[in-house]
Amino acid sequence: MSHPKLASIFNKDEKRVDWHDKALWFVRHKRDMSAHSVKGWEELRNLGHGIKAHMLSNLDNYLIQFEENALKNGVQVHWAANGKEHNQIVHKILKEHNAKKIVKSKSMLTEECHLNPYLEADGMEVIDTDLGERIVQLAKEPPSHIVLPAIHKDRHQVDELFQEHLGTKPCDGDPQYLTGEARKHLREKFIQADAAITGVNFAIADTGGFVVCTNEGNADMGAHLAPVHIACMGVEKIIPKQEHLGVFLRLLARSATGQPITTYSSHFKKPQPGSKMHIVIVDNGRSEQLSRPDFRASLHCIRCGACMNTCPIYRRSGGHSYDATIPGPIGSILSPGKDLTKYSSLPFASTLCGSCSDVCPVKIDIHSQLYKWRQIITKNTPQPFVKKQSMKFMGKLFAKPSQYETVGKIARWSLRNLPKSVINSKPNTWGKARDLPIGPKQSFDDWYKERENNKKSNDQ
Amino acid sequence: MGSRESILAKLKANKPEAIDLPKIDLNVFNEDLDLIKEFTKKVEIVGGSVIEISNDEEVLTHLKKTFPNTKINFSNLDNTQSFNTIDLSTIKNPRNLEDLDVLVLESKIGVAENGAVWLDDNDIPIRVLPFITKHLAIVISKNNLVPYMHEAYKSLSNHNSSYGVFLSGPSKTADIEQSLVIGAHGALSLTVFLK
Ligand code: SF4
Repeated sequence: MSHPKLASIFNKDEKRVDWHDKALWFVRHKRDMSAHSVKGWEELRNLGHGIKAHMLSNLDNYLIQFEENALKNGVQVHWAANGKEHNQIVHKILKEHNAKKIVKSKSMLTEECHLNPYLEADGMEVIDTDLGERIVQLAKEPPSHIVLPAIHKDRHQVDELFQEHLGTKPCDGDPQYLTGEARKHLREKFIQADAAITGVNFAIADTGGFVVCTNEGNADMGAHLAPVHIACMGVEKIIPKQEHLGVFLRLLARSATGQPITTYSSHFKKPQPGSKMHIVIVDNGRSEQLSRPDFRASLHCIRCGACMNTCPIYRRSGGHSYDATIPGPIGSILSPGKDLTKYSSLPFASTLCGSCSDVCPVKIDIHSQLYKWRQIITKNTPQPFVKKQSMKFMGKLFAKPSQYETVGKIARWSLRNLPKSVINSKPNTWGKARDLPIGPKQSFDDWYKERENNKKSNDQ
Repeated sequence: MGSRESILAKLKANKPEAIDLPKIDLNVFNEDLDLIKEFTKKVEIVGGSVIEISNDEEVLTHLKKTFPNTKINFSNLDNTQSFNTIDLSTIKNPRNLEDLDVLVLESKIGVAENGAVWLDDNDIPIRVLPFITKHLAIVISKNNLVPYMHEAYKSLSNHNSSYGVFLSGPSKTADIEQSLVIGAHGALSLTVFLK
C-alpha cells in the first residue's frame, strides 16, 4: 500500500496522532537543547560527515583491515551478500553451538533481513530484549521508529499486552511497574540464553573491535552471559580509527534523545575466556547504493532517528505508514534504492522543508536526495492520470502571465463567494481535511505593486 | 566467487574517488570546563549521584549506610575483606552472579561532558558484573577526569583491553509512552565517589 493510504489509516485516531506528534517533537526539542550546549557542534557534524565520506571512498580496504584485526583478536568473521545469506550464516552458527534460546539486542539490520521468523521456523526461540522491541514483538508488529520502536503504542496497550503474555496485574499503564515486570521476565531469558545476537553501531578498522550503544544494558546482559555472541553489521558501519569514536559518540545520543551519551557504550574486541564471538558483515544492497553518486551519502547514516523526530510528515503519519524497516526521511531515501516500484510514494512523503537535513548529525542532504528521487520516480513510474494532466495544465498556465492572472481572479472570487459544499467537493483534494481560506480581494502581484508605489510616494 | 570477494569487488568498483580524512582540531571544542563541577552535573543529569570522599573507607561506610541489609557485595578496592561476601575466583559461570546486590569498581577515566566513566577488563574481573549488579558504585580520582570524549580516547590509546565500556548513569528506558524509568536490565542505581 502507498504511504498516503497507510497514513490515512493512522490518521483515523486523531488523539493518537496528536500525541505521537507532540511526543516526537518533545524529543526533537531535547535534541536541540543538547546540541546547542556543545561548543563546536557544527564542526562535529562536519567531522562526522567527512569521516564517513572518507570511509566510503576506501570502504573495501577498511573492511579488509577490520577483518584482519578481528581475526587476530580471535573473532570469527563471515560475509553475507544479502539478507538470506545473513540468516543462513547466523542459523548455521547457532546450530553448531546447539543454541535454541536466543536473546537479541536491538539491530535494525536483523529486522531488515527478517532474521526472527527465519530462526523461529526452525523452532528456535528469539527474544528481543530492548523493552520497546519486546513490546512490538509481543504485539507481532515491526518497530515503527528506529530508536523508539514502540512510540506508536500507549501505556494501556502495553499494560494489556503484558497481562496477556507475561501474566502481569492490571496497573492502569504504570510504566514503573511494567518496566519492573519486563526486567524480571527478561532476566530469566538472559540467564537461560544459549546465544546472544547484537547489532553494531561502529566497527573500528584499526582495532578490529566494535561498539554497541544501549540505554538499558540489554546488549551487555546478553553478550556476557551467553556462551556465543553474534554481532551483525552492515558494511557501512566501519570507521577508520578508534579516536573517531570521539566524534560519533558525541553526536549519536545527543541527536537521538538529547542525552549526552547513551548509558552504555560497549567496546567489544576479544571474546571473553571460554566463549565465542562472531561478526557477520552484510551488504544487502549497500554496494548498490554506493554506486549512485546522488544517494551514496545516505550510507553515512548512524541511525539516530533525529530526521524522523523532526519530520512533520513522519510525526503525523506514524512509522508503519512507510512499510519499510527504516521509516521516515532517511528510510524514504534508502527504500527506493531497493525497490523503486514498491516504495515510489515515499520520496513524496515529505514537505521538503529541509528540517531533516538540518538536524542530521552526519550532514546528509536528506531533503535534496528526496527531491532527486522524485524526479527519477516521476520519469520512471506511471503517474495517476489526473496528476499528469493537471501538471501539464499548470505548466502551460504558469507560462502565460495574463491567463494566470485571470484564473487567479476567478479563484479568489470563488473562494469568497461559492458555498463550502462546492469548494470542498471531492475533486478538490486540498479541501479533504481542511477548510480553505477566504480568498483575498487583491492578488499578490497587485498588493506588491501597490506597496512599491506607496514606498516611492513616501520616499518623495 | 564467494560473498566476501564479490562484496569487496563491488565496493571497490562502486566507491567514489578517494576523499581525504578530515583533521580534528580539538581547539574548536575547548571551553575550559571546570571538570569536577561539569562531571558532577552530568552524572546527576543522567540519574546517578556523586559523593566526594577523601579515602576508600568512606566508600564502604557510605554504602553500608545506604544499603544496610544487602547480602551479596563485592568490591574491587584494596582492604575490603569486611565488605566482600563473595569470592569471585569461585564463580565458574557468570550467571551465578544473578543475586549480586552491591558492586564497587574503580575507574581510570571519567568524562566531564557526559558523566561517563570508563571500565575495562583490567577493572572488571567478570564482564557482566557492572550490568548484573543491583547497585553499582564507581570510585574515581579527580585527577582522572578529562573534558571531552576526544581526550578520553587519547588516554585509551595506551590501554589494551579486550572489552571496555563507557558507562553513564544507571540503566534506564523510556519505551513506555516516553516516561523515563530508571532500572531496565542493568544496575538500578549508580553512585560515583570522587576522591
Ligand atoms: S539520516 Fe541522519 S538524522 Fe536520520 S537517522 Fe540517519 S544520521 Fe540520524
